[in-house]
Amino acid sequence: MSNGKIRVLLAKKKIDVHGRGTKLLARELRDAGLEVIYYRYGTPEEIANVALQEGVNVVGVSIMTSGHLKVAEKLIPALKKNQMTDVLVIMGGVIPEVDFEPLKKMGVHEVFLPGLPGEQVAEYIKSHVGKVSLK
Amino acid sequence: MSNEKEREKFQQAKAAWEKMREKYVAKLKPQKNLSGIPIKTVYTAEDIAHLDLDTMPGVYPFTRGLYADGYALTPWMQQMVFGYGTCEETRKKMETLVAQGMEGYFGNKVFNVVYDIPTMYGIDADHPEAEGNVGQCGVHLCTSEDYDELIRGWELETTNFSLITGENCLPGLAHIVAAAERRGKTPDSLRGNSMNWYPRIAVQDIPSWEPKQGYALMTDLIKYCTKNIPPWNTTNIFMYGISEAGATPVQELAYGLSWGKSVIDAGKAAGLNPDSFVGRLGFQIGIQMNFFEEIAKLRAHRKMWAKITKDAGCTRPQCMHARVHIHTSGNVLVAQQPLNNTARITMQIMAAVLGGVQSIHSCSYDETIGIPTEVSHRTALRSQQIMMWESGFRQVADPLAGSYYVEWLTNEMEQEAWKLFNELEDHGGYMKGLEGGWIKSRIDASAYATKRSIKSGELPVVGVNKYVTDEKEQHQPFRVDYEIERKAIERLRAFKKKRNQQEVDKALSNMKNACMDLRDGKGELMPALIEAARKGATNGEMMVPMREAFGWVVTE
Repeated sequence: MSNGKIRVLLAKKKIDVHGRGTKLLARELRDAGLEVIYYRYGTPEEIANVALQEGVNVVGVSIMTSGHLKVAEKLIPALKKNQMTDVLVIMGGVIPEVDFEPLKKMGVHEVFLPGLPGEQVAEYIKSHVGKVSLK
Repeated sequence: MSNEKEREKFQQAKAAWEKMREKYVAKLKPQKNLSGIPIKTVYTAEDIAHLDLDTMPGVYPFTRGLYADGYALTPWMQQMVFGYGTCEETRKKMETLVAQGMEGYFGNKVFNVVYDIPTMYGIDADHPEAEGNVGQCGVHLCTSEDYDELIRGWELETTNFSLITGENCLPGLAHIVAAAERRGKTPDSLRGNSMNWYPRIAVQDIPSWEPKQGYALMTDLIKYCTKNIPPWNTTNIFMYGISEAGATPVQELAYGLSWGKSVIDAGKAAGLNPDSFVGRLGFQIGIQMNFFEEIAKLRAHRKMWAKITKDAGCTRPQCMHARVHIHTSGNVLVAQQPLNNTARITMQIMAAVLGGVQSIHSCSYDETIGIPTEVSHRTALRSQQIMMWESGFRQVADPLAGSYYVEWLTNEMEQEAWKLFNELEDHGGYMKGLEGGWIKSRIDASAYATKRSIKSGELPVVGVNKYVTDEKEQHQPFRVDYEIERKAIERLRAFKKKRNQQEVDKALSNMKNACMDLRDGKGELMPALIEAARKGATNGEMMVPMREAFGWVVTE
């Protein structure tokens, strides 16, 4: 948190479509005073590497065309491998609520429904960042 | 108001009306529609007195519809988007949909097949980046065997194959042409639709061709079809994509029509006579939530396209027809209490039908949660069919014509759209607006404004900012077995073993040369793609030289 701002990496899975939700969230998080690195498309390994290079406090992954479980399954170990065990990991988009618990069991800290006001996500980040562990 | 007596009677009524409301009128909150057009609470003959409404359905400028008797001869086409897994699973779904009565004009079969994301991007099932995505949100089709299976047994001359491709649009067409040939048919036996929607890159942040090359590829497909498959619908002007990215209905109209004009201009620059190809361009339009605004949008759209095509030199009425497929908006559906979405979808279908469109895809209520289930997909189709057979909506063509409000609003939407259309044309047109991010920045701003008004409550959304509950949804979405990925890879490997590798390599090498030529503004690519398809080149293999020649960039 250089300059005191929480740094958030926002990414979409490697091949996906429709960027409306992620772009809006990026803007709303900035409105809420967070610093957003908008990475768009990446494999879990690429996302974890950018997260390390950018030294972010939060990794957010948006999903439109399914595959959230597969992404989480690889993203969490990739972040751990990069020693980023205190990073806050959130997901959102077209993800069924029945999958929220399985995602949390894998290590994702919170999952958000599509279309929510970005402030809700910002509030969650502010109250949880730095207080979590991926261990 | 034909005479003095009637006028006087109206003025008396109006005075009485003003009296009725004088106590509270100052307190009424100003209203506007989604495009920001101010809306009054009451409209009268005075609001439309200046408009020229003396026209009929089926007659230029087609504001009242393309056909003289609306849906009397045949209802709209039910074109539900479908496709998942490999061609095996998708074949089964085709049969289910036929059994459920999904059909096009005069009972013909229509298959609106969506490809999975790897196929759209142009990578085969065995590509590392395809992992986790094969057959998930569409069907994985990469080999000639897949296409043989897709068209097997369907009568080509009466079956409409609409191929919802991505950047693999030209390879997709090449593959279905080669599959038709293997059935002993000439390409012109095929009926259907290519998306050919490169210009959607203006709003979708996905990798694609460099703009100049994207237009060259689009034109190459149009040229090939105009010559070899005249009945094929070459191009889908994807206003729905513009709308889903956040455009207001007026922006959707303006930028969509400007896109259409850019296609006509590209075809003419390539030496085509507008009468030879403009009639095979079609529109895919979204339907958002303001009912009358959407109906007015569809009426204005037909009128505007008629003028644009006529100005472009079209003389045949068919070339002035704005043929419209509707995709009800997915963006307005919400994840909270998903069954509520059936009310939204029903209203959207009503707007489409009363707006006089040619074809409809209705979303499923659970699309905000995942891939639709069999039940939700069937319900979306049945909603159309209930509208078709029970409602009486299609008994009368353009039933809202003459409504003070609808006629006033149709004109208002048109005038507002012309302003934005002309602004973009003055800026250099659609392609220029795509290259420089001009279109995207405007639409992103609208998306942001919409989100702000949902947050403030100004735009009510049930379940999101009104009647909010904290119940958890236990809805189980449709799951595509990840085993399908393994099956797809095995199919691909087995296929590659059977083909003559030398012939494939040679065809791909020729194709690469054709790509380089087209990049340099020479020759035609489609014939080389078809030859590669004949020899067994896969979708992913064909896309490699294409990416090399035409660039692969994300426009900002």
